[in-house]
Amino acid sequence: MHRHDVVVVGAGLAGQRAALAAVEAGKDVAIVSKLHPLRSHSGAAQGGINAAVGAEDSVDTHIYDTVKGSDYLGDQDAIEFFCRSAGPTVVEMEHFGTIFSRGSDGQLASRPFGGQGFPRTIYAADRTGLALLQALYERLGTESFTLYEEWDLTRIVVGEGRVQGIIAFDRRHGDFAGIAAKSVVIATGPAGRVYGRTTNAHSCTGDGIAAAYRAGALLKDMEFVQFHPTALLESGILITEGARGEGGILKNVNGERFMSKYAPHVLDLASRDVVSRAIWTEVKEGRGFPGGYVHLELMHLGRERIESRLQEICDFCRNFAGVDPVTQPIPIMPGQHYMMGGVGTNIRGETNIPGLFAAGEAACVSIHGANRLGGNSLLETLVFGKEAGIHAAAHAEKASTTEIPNGLVEEETALIRGMSERKDGEEPQHLRAEMQATMDELVGIYRHPNDLTEALRRIRALQTRYQSVRVVDRSSIYNINLTDALETGHMLDLAEVIVIGAIARTESRGAHARVDFPRRDDVNWMKHTMARRTATGPELSYAPVAFTRWEPKERVY
Amino acid sequence: MEAGLVKAPIEVYRFDPTHDRAPRYDRFELELAPHTPVLTALLKIRADSDPSLTMRYSCRSSICGSCAMVINSKSRLACQTPIGPELERHGRIVIDPMRNMPVLRDLVVEMGGFWGNYRKLEPHLIDNPERPMPEGRPSSMSPEEVERFKETPRCIACGACYSACPAVEHDAAFPGPMSLAKLYRFVVDPRDGGQRERLLKIQPGGLWLCLRCHLCTEACPKDVRPSERIRDLKEMAIALQGATEHGSKHAVAFKENIRERGVLNEFKLVRQTYNPIEMLGQVPQGLKIRRKKPEITQTPKPIEGLAEVEKLYEILDDEPEATK
Repeated sequence: MHRHDVVVVGAGLAGQRAALAAVEAGKDVAIVSKLHPLRSHSGAAQGGINAAVGAEDSVDTHIYDTVKGSDYLGDQDAIEFFCRSAGPTVVEMEHFGTIFSRGSDGQLASRPFGGQGFPRTIYAADRTGLALLQALYERLGTESFTLYEEWDLTRIVVGEGRVQGIIAFDRRHGDFAGIAAKSVVIATGPAGRVYGRTTNAHSCTGDGIAAAYRAGALLKDMEFVQFHPTALLESGILITEGARGEGGILKNVNGERFMSKYAPHVLDLASRDVVSRAIWTEVKEGRGFPGGYVHLELMHLGRERIESRLQEICDFCRNFAGVDPVTQPIPIMPGQHYMMGGVGTNIRGETNIPGLFAAGEAACVSIHGANRLGGNSLLETLVFGKEAGIHAAAHAEKASTTEIPNGLVEEETALIRGMSERKDGEEPQHLRAEMQATMDELVGIYRHPNDLTEALRRIRALQTRYQSVRVVDRSSIYNINLTDALETGHMLDLAEVIVIGAIARTESRGAHARVDFPRRDDVNWMKHTMARRTATGPELSYAPVAFTRWEPKERVY
Repeated sequence: MEAGLVKAPIEVYRFDPTHDRAPRYDRFELELAPHTPVLTALLKIRADSDPSLTMRYSCRSSICGSCAMVINSKSRLACQTPIGPELERHGRIVIDPMRNMPVLRDLVVEMGGFWGNYRKLEPHLIDNPERPMPEGRPSSMSPEEVERFKETPRCIACGACYSACPAVEHDAAFPGPMSLAKLYRFVVDPRDGGQRERLLKIQPGGLWLCLRCHLCTEACPKDVRPSERIRDLKEMAIALQGATEHGSKHAVAFKENIRERGVLNEFKLVRQTYNPIEMLGQVPQGLKIRRKKPEITQTPKPIEGLAEVEKLYEILDDEPEATK
């Protein structure tokens, strides 16, 4: 049996930042991750990290933009704390060694991002996530902690009213092990792969969110799913909002800059939900290119600017779409990009289960409310990763030693090994593909009530079929067929919560656009959806939104 | 076959140490569009034919570094390699695990040595007392200083360079191209205070095992150009402490040696690189060469037009950048 004060699950920016904070507090810390830390999806974030540090910018403007961007579903006390922490966070990361892009004056450069009144997105070319991930990994590497690399989380153990640890599976050797912990921090990122058309990595399967849900944690606002306006047509690979920040424009088949109809003031740099719906509408109304897409044009920016500021984007377009953005338009369509929802936490990263914390995209504080602004997610991982780490360490300081109950690891092993011992049953990758097709088709940018009901029926049928899921690979070494099965089970649970939340919310707010309820309904729906797992599926309740200084207004860009 | 698709014969290395005596290649016939990445082809094999085929992959957009493997003898990212050009060139696609790392199973290799070499070089900022971090605000860096990082911040630590490197294969003491490119990134960072120590440590630490074959630069999917940064490290190490290693002595001697006669004086080069005792060790090899190619051990005559050679050297002395 392994034992630590604090176990962090996930080794992206939020997980590493939490681990660093807990180590600095003098705790025995372990990170459990199915990927090597440098392989984390945080590294794929392109555009930048917001901080109102410019002479004419202000923290209040950043707060206001975030509140407005959230369509007034973000908790304003949390947003205030978040935006105030931005400057110190960026400074800290710079001091850790992040290689940010700079202006000719030697200071950090910033670019405009959608839905924000000021160019406050600090960046490292178009690989800001990678730059931050490298620097944090390098900094954390000077500290002492245990890394369980390429271990899959299978269960969060809760007993006697608190967290006792986790059970995880060592992919390289095929062993299950209990890891006792006084505090557990979930930082496993999103479940973007519940969709097929997504900018997310294959590994974004929401394992920690699902494990927390199964352990009794409340999931918050899961129906709010952000679609990024510009994903490469076929592969769904992200084309950063920075491309529009640098001056890129969207055009339909008639060569019209159509954003002038939808957001006459800020055009292509409107909030993500607004731009995604605009593209969807253009294509739906026959003004897309054959096959259904629109163009993102960068050509007018000139080779020098494109190749220096959008270097990765150039490579992506050339390698994955056979298009040279210097001379050709980029074919794009919106793709699933970000989950505003997650494990419900307060500002300290605490969930409803004592000892269980969450941070980053796996968590929902809520900063982003119904729609996240570009440049706020990298900031969230670092600000709330640190908070979760600090408070996980403080909890471990007070808490008594925990044990994984006798027999539980054996029970879990038998349950999961059972998947490999079946003679028949369905293979996980097929169930996963059907789930993704369902979500793409029925739970997209615009949501129709009949589609949602049908989606729920199909997801529940898949859950039933999952009961007899079959792992074909019998090897004990690096059995990713088993990982497939575990991940698919996790995602089916979360897909159900997304759909149930979307059915219940009879309004349109931020990323949740109901065709039958096209208006925001502040009287009935200015509240967070909270989902608790029961034997018959998610049970919804609602929690109030925290307001401080900003009264809800209609959201126009 | 559907229009626009091509037949793609794919042969994949398979080995599970728990029940295979020896590795084998499994052959799959797919029909795919030519721009399909190899990773997509492998995922299709996993979904439709053999879910037990194992490998690492995650982002599918060449930023996480998971899916490095050997494709038609070249170390590269599966997600970034379209099948079309491979099929045109080779008629099939043969996929092996990365080299220079033990195979765990199928296309998954044990990367502990790779990460270990990286960690040994202390890849983190060391306080710089001459340029302390300003309190409460980011440090400043001139455009020239930023320029010195070159492409090293793009490194995704995929291991393709390590897999392609003959020096890694030859000598485990060689840290490998990725680690050295990382080291370069810290050496040129004006915020780092460890520059001198890093260079002093690395010259006897395997730096000169790099023979400048540039296979790492060819393999790198992010155009980090490790071999060029290794060259920079070599120059900086010599500038700091002179030529202290066989490798650096050899490099310096090579330059001066040719200047004298416009042609390499091989025998003198040995004397310039080794001390007298070390030269004793070279005697058997020298005798062998003398038997086979006696002219090599004789001092060559200066070439015609030696003055032109001298002019070239003067240009290079004035503009060292011209050598690059």
